Amino acid sequence: MRNINFTKYKYFTLSFSFLAIVIGFAVTFGKYGGFAHSLDFNGGLRTVVELPADKTRSDLEGYFQSKNIEAVVILLEKEKNIYQLDIGLGSLDTIESLYKDIPEANRESSTSAIDRFVQLIRYEYKLPKEKVLSADQVGAVVGGELTEVGITLLLTTLAIILLYLSIRSQFKFALASSIALVHDILMTLALIGFLQIKPSVPIIAALLTLLGYSINDKIVVFDRIRENAHGKDNLALSNIINVSITQTLGRTINTSFTTMISVVAIIVGGAVELYDFAFILLFGVIVGTYSSIYIAAPISEIYDQLRKKRFA
Amino acid sequence: MQSYRLLILPFLILAVSFTILYPNFADRTLKIVVKEDVYSLPEADQKVLVTALFERWAKDYGKTSGWTIEPQGTLPPKENPFYTVKGRFITSAKINQISQENQSLVSESKNKLEPTWIEETIRGGKSLSIKLGLDLQGGMRVVLKGDFEDYTSKLKDLYAKELTELNLTLSNQAAKPEEKEKANSRLAEIESSFDLSPMRKIVELEKAKMIIDNRLTTQNLTEPQVRIQKEQDAIEVSLPGVSNSAAILEILQNTETVEYRLEEPTPFLFKTQIADNERRMMDLGKRENTDIFLFQELVKNKAGKKAQDEFLEGLEKKYNIPKDFKVYAMWARGNAAKSALLPRSFVVLERKIALSGNDMTNAQPSYNSNSYGWMVSFTLTPNGAEKFFDLTSQNRGRNLAIVWGDKVISNPVINDPIAGGRAEISGSFSEQEAIRLANVISEGALPIPLSVLEMRFIGPTLGIESIEVGVKAVAIGFFLVMIYMIFYYRLGGFIADLSLLINLIILAALLTLMDFTLTLPGIAGIILTAGMAVDANVIIYERIREEIEEGRALSIAVTRGFENAFWTIMDANVTTLIAGILMIRLGNGPIKGFAITLCWGIVTTLFTSLFLSRLFMELTVNRMGVHHLNLRPFFFGKKETKNA
Repeated sequence: MRNINFTKYKYFTLSFSFLAIVIGFAVTFGKYGGFAHSLDFNGGLRTVVELPADKTRSDLEGYFQSKNIEAVVILLEKEKNIYQLDIGLGSLDTIESLYKDIPEANRESSTSAIDRFVQLIRYEYKLPKEKVLSADQVGAVVGGELTEVGITLLLTTLAIILLYLSIRSQFKFALASSIALVHDILMTLALIGFLQIKPSVPIIAALLTLLGYSINDKIVVFDRIRENAHGKDNLALSNIINVSITQTLGRTINTSFTTMISVVAIIVGGAVELYDFAFILLFGVIVGTYSSIYIAAPISEIYDQLRKKRFA
Repeated sequence: MQSYRLLILPFLILAVSFTILYPNFADRTLKIVVKEDVYSLPEADQKVLVTALFERWAKDYGKTSGWTIEPQGTLPPKENPFYTVKGRFITSAKINQISQENQSLVSESKNKLEPTWIEETIRGGKSLSIKLGLDLQGGMRVVLKGDFEDYTSKLKDLYAKELTELNLTLSNQAAKPEEKEKANSRLAEIESSFDLSPMRKIVELEKAKMIIDNRLTTQNLTEPQVRIQKEQDAIEVSLPGVSNSAAILEILQNTETVEYRLEEPTPFLFKTQIADNERRMMDLGKRENTDIFLFQELVKNKAGKKAQDEFLEGLEKKYNIPKDFKVYAMWARGNAAKSALLPRSFVVLERKIALSGNDMTNAQPSYNSNSYGWMVSFTLTPNGAEKFFDLTSQNRGRNLAIVWGDKVISNPVINDPIAGGRAEISGSFSEQEAIRLANVISEGALPIPLSVLEMRFIGPTLGIESIEVGVKAVAIGFFLVMIYMIFYYRLGGFIADLSLLINLIILAALLTLMDFTLTLPGIAGIILTAGMAVDANVIIYERIREEIEEGRALSIAVTRGFENAFWTIMDANVTTLIAGILMIRLGNGPIKGFAITLCWGIVTTLFTSLFLSRLFMELTVNRMGVHHLNLRPFFFGKKETKNA
């Protein structure tokens, strides 16, 4: 079979990835001031209200937009026109000042943010008390735990993989796989920030899935490199890499393709709330495949060259 | 590995798996229990409730699900107060939905899904159907915060007497230095127990968690999850499928304790003072001004525990009651048979707890036909029995009050020392109260009072519709992948599909057996499992094809293909497995759900792709006389094998 020269473009692909990550994060933090907020991650206020029949979802959304309140409106029950309103913590100050604008007569003194928000909504939509079905200040479901555990988890996982692969094959492959894995996570996070996708439990699931997929993909490619390199110390590593990637290409395409079939099915299937999940997975599969070939392999080669130079 | 006999193994495993999974597909019986008080409603009101149920039924369940309900259109007879629903795919989410829609008709906590014969035989009636998490079916989430101030004040009561004694020793001039030293160290020890370190708090929260767990399991709820939130000294309780149920909240929060306290010594100095004062009021015709009447009003107006406590503290001030004693109300029923349980008089008890609920176990309610009342009998722990014997022998003639929560429910005189470690409490209980008291004793009281920090009813994170569409999409995705595999690898693809199916069946059975609660991240784990299982087969077939292309005989190519692929598959899966185990250990919530499915998925994948696929493949090539194996896609492939 013809050999494809994958490593030829290594500096281009490496800088491309680096640039993409930098741009992604620059936009995330520069333009948006960080990742999108969501109730799952940051906590906030949650109210369930029954609105008069003539009010629609877009009325609500328009109202919040005009007042500059960051809100997610979910239609819970169509027949009764019941909505769930999720308010991010970032809007507390806005609510505070709007609350002060309510005429004294329509306002009960209260100190809790959720009470004030409810009064605001009740005043705006002239709702009697019993139409406010629930009102809670809710804590983050996954946020606090995740930032804390997530980083430890990722670092420990990487360390273990590094160790396992160093024992099973060689340190350079282990190192390259780990860096490529970090690359995949960073790329995906950059995309999430760039598109301001709201972090949620499904997104976490997608990230974990792509991590698993990516590890799998890298090991398959590196196993082949290790096998081909066995007893061929004289052969240039770049050549071995190219041969190995070419040999596993059929497998790589097949596996990526079959995984993508399932993911695309979810997107096409039309489960709106699963769209983000599937989208991240789709991106993850592509990035994972790309990084096994164009990031992990070149890094192991560069590392090898550097080491040879040092000992030369 | 080429014998047909080996096929027994996959068949055996499949048979076991299907048996475990059977309850998910079986025709099941559900009993929807009608609330007791519905029967005492006027007939018109009953009719409204029943009509509401059947209108909804006809609209939402009757047509589409093919479920049947008995009796149709009327209230079930009072002696059998339940509707019997029969059908397939009755899930806990549906059960809860029905209860929720008919809250005033259905007694949610008593609904019962009858176990199938399989569940009865292999798990003693415990459910074997797949459980869905909060994110897939919605439910209720309650965060309860531990009130540690209250906890320390209770501790102080427990040590009150010892503390006074120790202080007495310390201030006593005549006491020996070593006695004083001993008293000093004991004092320090007790005081350190009032100091709540984060560690101590966690320990107490753990105890509370265990008790909540116990209480929930007796409530017939589907897969509740209880976990501790360290950051805010709180316990989070997730109740998938439960509607906004106040009854359950009450059960969770119930900090009722049972304890024995001695009454002030005879001749009841303070009690007499209070009683005299009350009588004087009565004689003056000012019943409305008597303390007991005021207290009853508080209770009737549901003023809450705090107001009641304040009232009793007020009484302590009014009658100058010393610090060692505390005023309680004695609760009883009036003379009429069905009169309410209300405070009837005041008693003054020692602040010191003589015997706490921790010293009692195994309580049982029973009906006493002599006194026509309910009572509760219980066993004392060995330590408790000893304490009880000492207590009763040293305090003969005194009254020993039994305090349930804040209520004195019985205040008998100690006639003789009680040995043997068994005792009973008789008060004016109804059956319900006797059961509740017995539960409080058996399950133990919450070590710390819990207040609701957050409570909310949450819909499924994604909405029912989205989940249904999603599941369908995943199924279609699997189907397409399987078609693709057959298209690409032909017979090999078919074998891969077969082992993928078996893989998923075994995985589902394993997860069911472990009482795993399926959440969305769990589904993601299953998708990844399927992806990796397909990948394993792809790796194998690519290797086999390489061997064939190098001109090896088919049976050798197959063997070598599996051998060459073995370590790659192992490496990939073991590394992922390590990551998965780390996620289980470090993460919780969504991460854990994902990691558990992933880890078990890897185990089943290794088995099916390295053992089953190989078995099927080798049997096909070596026994079934297949001499040509084409592992190229239809239309594109050229014939690979020339020699058998």
